[in-house]
Amino acid sequence: MLDARTALLPYEGTLDTRFAAHLLRRAGFGGTPEMVRALVGAAAGNAVEQLVHFPETTAVAAPEDVFDPSTVYEEYGPRGLRALSDDQRRELQKDIRQSEVRSMASLRLWWLNRMLATPAPLQEKMTLFFHGHFTTAAIEKGVSPLMVYNQNQLMRQYALGNLRELTRGLSKDPAMLLYLDNATNVAEHPNENWARELMELFTLGVDRYTEDDVRESARAWTGWRVLRLTGAAYFEPRLHDDGTKAFLGRSGDFDGDDVVNIIFAQPQCARFFAAKLLGLFVYDNPEPELVDGVAALLEKNEYELAPTVSTILRSNVFYSDRAYRALVKSPVELVVGTYATLGVPQVDPSVLPALRSMGQVLFAPPNVAGWPGGENWLTSQMMIARQNFLAGLVNAQIMGASSWLGGVPMDPPDATHALIGALLQDDASPSSYARLKAYLAGDDTSALAMLNGENFQERIHGAAYLTMAMPAFQLE
Amino acid sequence: MKRARFLLGSLSGIAVVANADHVFARALAAAALPGLPGTENRCLVLVNLQGGNDGLNCVVPHGNSDYYRLRPTLAIPQSQVLAIDAQLGFNPLMTSFKGMYDKGLVAVVQGVGYPNPDHSHFRSTEIWQTAAPDRYEHTGWIGRYFDESDLPESNLFNGVSLAPILPEVMVGSKIDVPAIASEAAYGLRIDRNPMQRDEYTALIHDERLPFTSPYLPHVMEIEDRAQRGSEELPKLIGGYTTNASYPATPLGRSLALAAQIIGSNIGTRVIYVQHGSFDTHVNQVAVQNRLLGEFSDAAKAFYDDLAAHGNDTRVLTMTFSEFGRRIEENGSHGTDHGEGSPLFLIGGGVKGGLYGSTPDLSATNMGNVRFTTDFRSVYATVLERWLGRPSAPVLDGTFEQLAIL
Repeated sequence: MLDARTALLPYEGTLDTRFAAHLLRRAGFGGTPEMVRALVGAAAGNAVEQLVHFPETTAVAAPEDVFDPSTVYEEYGPRGLRALSDDQRRELQKDIRQSEVRSMASLRLWWLNRMLATPAPLQEKMTLFFHGHFTTAAIEKGVSPLMVYNQNQLMRQYALGNLRELTRGLSKDPAMLLYLDNATNVAEHPNENWARELMELFTLGVDRYTEDDVRESARAWTGWRVLRLTGAAYFEPRLHDDGTKAFLGRSGDFDGDDVVNIIFAQPQCARFFAAKLLGLFVYDNPEPELVDGVAALLEKNEYELAPTVSTILRSNVFYSDRAYRALVKSPVELVVGTYATLGVPQVDPSVLPALRSMGQVLFAPPNVAGWPGGENWLTSQMMIARQNFLAGLVNAQIMGASSWLGGVPMDPPDATHALIGALLQDDASPSSYARLKAYLAGDDTSALAMLNGENFQERIHGAAYLTMAMPAFQLE
Repeated sequence: MKRARFLLGSLSGIAVVANADHVFARALAAAALPGLPGTENRCLVLVNLQGGNDGLNCVVPHGNSDYYRLRPTLAIPQSQVLAIDAQLGFNPLMTSFKGMYDKGLVAVVQGVGYPNPDHSHFRSTEIWQTAAPDRYEHTGWIGRYFDESDLPESNLFNGVSLAPILPEVMVGSKIDVPAIASEAAYGLRIDRNPMQRDEYTALIHDERLPFTSPYLPHVMEIEDRAQRGSEELPKLIGGYTTNASYPATPLGRSLALAAQIIGSNIGTRVIYVQHGSFDTHVNQVAVQNRLLGEFSDAAKAFYDDLAAHGNDTRVLTMTFSEFGRRIEENGSHGTDHGEGSPLFLIGGGVKGGLYGSTPDLSATNMGNVRFTTDFRSVYATVLERWLGRPSAPVLDGTFEQLAIL
């Protein structure tokens, strides 16, 4: 049972192997056995400190050639574009579309590699969280690759920054303006899409406002535009409704900034984000007292994330049995986490179709609610894709050179302990140890016949896959 | 967003099968149903037109001047409408579908919705799938139908979702429904390596783990079902052949697989497919027309495939969408979230024609089409007259049935 008084107080113990790996998984994407060992014996507070005060990451290379259709429009110029025949225009649109699709694939790979290589994994973890929370899909609705990249950078900039300011920034972000139609929200014909989702999905939750609040908020947000030729956002006062609006119990000639301020002044907003942060770092369906505790932290810190996240990651509840392996890995966490754990430094492009089969394509969430997560990742179809990814990875060429797997001792009992220790922090039963050892030793003679020509190193890779096939590996 | 944690609570009711050897045989034994009389042999196919299909540009009120007044840029010109009568007609891209309607294979139920409509995609989708407008229900109406039925739990394919994510409509506490994105993708790589497969089978049932997790039983259950399903599905449906030509669209592929599953007689009672997104806030005509054309052509190919195998009278296809859209267009050549909209029932067992009241575009609720038929009336009709089960326990109440079946 949760002790609400002590749940958020600092955990006084030092980290053992399991808690060190737990912290690395939750505050990032896990790490090699060596990285886990480096944290063993550390005080939780010190370990968290290193993760929260992350280094400047400007050293991580920017992606190459993020496609920006406005460069094409510029080439033609407004007059040149008008002069195109219908066929030429269709042809141009098709070319642009192809460039966008190619660009998105390289952008996805770039981000996955960044998650893997960054010296600041918590920054990427929060960016990924924001991407699923304040969703935007690329290519749809005129959202260009450059726009989603810029939005991604905005989320990264605010990774542990101020939630209210991030929300404000996103409200004027071209990708968001287009994705939720606020770029076509004008005084004469308000479009409520952004106004509704801002409250329902992003800040308050369903049933925490009235239909009138949606309509009034939509009026406050009128006038924002995106210039198609340049992809830039701007405010057009002529299209803004500057009349009086009644919103969440207040009234005035509100604009969008006022709406954000009023929303973030609602106690429900702090509770909403508190539950989201607990679901990200601790466990799903947190107790109301725990939500209230984190909400109070958010309010005290005026929605600054660094102190709030830091408190969560060093808390007693974070290091409780209830939190340990209590979350399902998302496909991106599974993919990046497996590369990170095995110590393979670069993701293979084949992870892109694999992630699609697992149900998570970056910059293409299923809808504005993002990926529902949790048990929704657990269908038999998605599980097949997860298992096939893991089986494919250990057999790939890329594994040969870089991973610590090459150094696993050539002795069945030692190798069994090395694999289950490194990949599962010993979260397996004695019978599973025995089975894996027998597999490595080739005890099953009929099976040995199947393994014609196989050497021990290949069998290590098979055993590594079987270790990762165990249920614990699917849990975060 | 409220998302129910529905699966965890239900897991205790699902036995984790530790021995995979005899399961294949059991699934086969449970599968043979050809020639059975009555409702036992029937199948329901649900098509989710997700995103909120605009009913007024789908079943077009081309005899109504309000429609043309309120939709200056979006209205379908009268000359293009595939007229059913002087008042109504189908979207011009739905020629195949109109052909089926003319043969009496399609029932159009107009103005379907529910009281106090919710305009959120997520809540309204949840309402349609759980059939519970007035409470937060954790199971879907088909899931509860499964719970109430006596279908064999050993059959892996009582229900099948042809979508990567299991929709809430299929969630129950007894029958677990696999989500199958495509047959090709539904295969475990280690099936090709007998030794690893055996080890995998043993290791995923490791029950004495030194930790607990609310998701652990579910992970184990799904790993088990993934392995059994991947092994069995190709064997169960591999013998089906067809000459039907489906459009090369995601919906075409889904319905082709649905026909294959139905035609293989593996005991599948309900299949879910999805199509969309119909969330046309902007530039609606191009998007919705394309989607309706794809739907129309895929539905026709599906029906023809079923008919060629003699399955057309034992399959009922029903569409649904979380809401219709506003009557008046917005400033972006689109429409915002609305309320009532038409749905379709398709098949050889349907009494074709128009049902329900034609939307009154003047007497409206804040610019929306008021619902005139409760969607639970349609569900009750399908449950009682198609699936042959009492509807009250599933729908938590009694709803008037329609004479469409």
